Amino acid sequence: MSEINLARQATLQQRLEPRVLRVLSWAFTGFLVLYILIPVLITLVMSFNNAAMIRFPITDWSVRWYADFFGSTQWMDALINSIVIALGTTAISTTAGILAAWAFERYQIPFRTFWYMLIMMPLFMPGVVLGLGVAIAFGGVQLGSYSFYGSRELVMIAHSLWAMPLVFMLMEATFRTVDYRVVEASYDLGGRPIGSFFEIVVPMVSTGIISSALFAFVISLNEFVMALFLTDRDTQTLPVLMWLSLRSAGTPRLAVASVILALTVFVCMSVIMLWYARQLRKVAR
Amino acid sequence: MTLAQTDSSISEATDVPVRASRKPVVPWFLIAPALVIVLVFFGLPTLQMARMSFNLHVDQRLYVPGFTFEHYRTLFTNPLFSKAIWTTVQLALVASFFSVAIGYTFAILAWLKPARWRLLFVGLALCPLLISEIAIIFGWWMFFPKNGLLSQALLSAGLITDKFSLMYTEFAAFVGLVYVTLPYAFFILLSVLDGIDEQILESSADLGAPPLVTFREVLFPLTRTGLLVAFSQSFIWAMGTYATPSALGPDTLWTMGFLIQEQMLGKHNWPLASAFSMLLVIGVAAAMLLTRSLMSKRSAFHV
Repeated sequence: MSEINLARQATLQQRLEPRVLRVLSWAFTGFLVLYILIPVLITLVMSFNNAAMIRFPITDWSVRWYADFFGSTQWMDALINSIVIALGTTAISTTAGILAAWAFERYQIPFRTFWYMLIMMPLFMPGVVLGLGVAIAFGGVQLGSYSFYGSRELVMIAHSLWAMPLVFMLMEATFRTVDYRVVEASYDLGGRPIGSFFEIVVPMVSTGIISSALFAFVISLNEFVMALFLTDRDTQTLPVLMWLSLRSAGTPRLAVASVILALTVFVCMSVIMLWYARQLRKVAR
Repeated sequence: MTLAQTDSSISEATDVPVRASRKPVVPWFLIAPALVIVLVFFGLPTLQMARMSFNLHVDQRLYVPGFTFEHYRTLFTNPLFSKAIWTTVQLALVASFFSVAIGYTFAILAWLKPARWRLLFVGLALCPLLISEIAIIFGWWMFFPKNGLLSQALLSAGLITDKFSLMYTEFAAFVGLVYVTLPYAFFILLSVLDGIDEQILESSADLGAPPLVTFREVLFPLTRTGLLVAFSQSFIWAMGTYATPSALGPDTLWTMGFLIQEQMLGKHNWPLASAFSMLLVIGVAAAMLLTRSLMSKRSAFHV
């Protein structure tokens, strides 16, 4: 009797459970989509608010705050600082990261695990610690009349502490997919290592290079804790200015700044996707 | 960005065909720029910070060279600071727990769904990772207050009669913190799940196990290590993230990161800020070492 009951219960469970789980999985997906998109969409909507205050419901729409943003020298300077610093970070971290990854892939290095951990370590350090360290070590350093502290260059290098290990990691994985018989063949045909690298290897790993460069750019563009410690009024980046003005009072101008940051990132991601699709088509052909 | 990937890459990279070992100088030339960045701008500052944490702080000057354990003693004896340490750890633990729980469910869904869905899920998970923390803070900053979206939406839906504010509460800080750490947990767990053959679930179902039993007996044991790795990674990020909790949480919610900034930029007490940072560095390093030991145990098990 009880066995029959148990069996019935089991089949009931088997029939019911998938259905319950399906409903739950949809509910969870809905919750997740809402959770992730709320702060994004709310900002996008608020940037078109005409009022000077941040409050819902929004009754009056305009692009007034966009005009305000692009008309303000303070905000435009911050945007330019951000872009210059991000470009510098990209140049520094892709150069250093790609070279190191190539060395790790193609050469025997004594104590490689140690060096690997050392290069990766800054990526796991909180920005506030890195920022404080660099500020203490280089805060008072001057070369002639050139002061490191507050300079864009110092922020570029500080941001590279996060960006370079990431490039290194991505490129290490990418170099591992390369078919080195082709490279060997080019050596056999008389190619010099440097020439072969640029003519044979770089085209093969272009997707990896583009992606890691753009990730480096995005990391630097978004970062603001290190920048907060290392910049002054003239070199402050857009996220730093946003942080400082959020502390005093929030206006829809902040929403515009957020949208502009996010749009830049979105463009970078689209470039990666398009490049990737192009390479896939090339391979298919 | 995961330790999981790092670890496997080391073990695989060692047996790569090696050429040109006759020129042992070349690799060092190639690694030099990366090493200079890490040693000069991370190693040196960390050492200086360690030294700085023992310096004296007198007469409101930034620091006075000297040697004292006073700042470390202050960290643990001053109730203000020891409470901040406890708050940070507590907040990070709870936030990592939830971000692993949500990330795990999310990753399982992405893993089970067909490829088209998967791409959407991955895109969704990239959002918190690729959008600036400050923009996310601002987004929640418009959601929680009295005149924010949440209160307004519930009011117009007739669910509440009075406007209310969740802004500057621990709940808001917690929501923001989970948002920041969620993608790390998700991507680590997705990469762990990708290493599992999906047919294993079918076999389990064919043998008569209902989904939940399959989960408990098959999927969970296979992903246990991955869950621990995801937890420790989320914990590292939650410990280091201070802007989100300090902007969304109550004024009394003091985290270690906030106090570092406060001591450095506000109080100009460099030694104390350094002592706090060293504590954070040690905490992060401990969490990383723990992760690595978990990982190596796992790979030993598989080999």
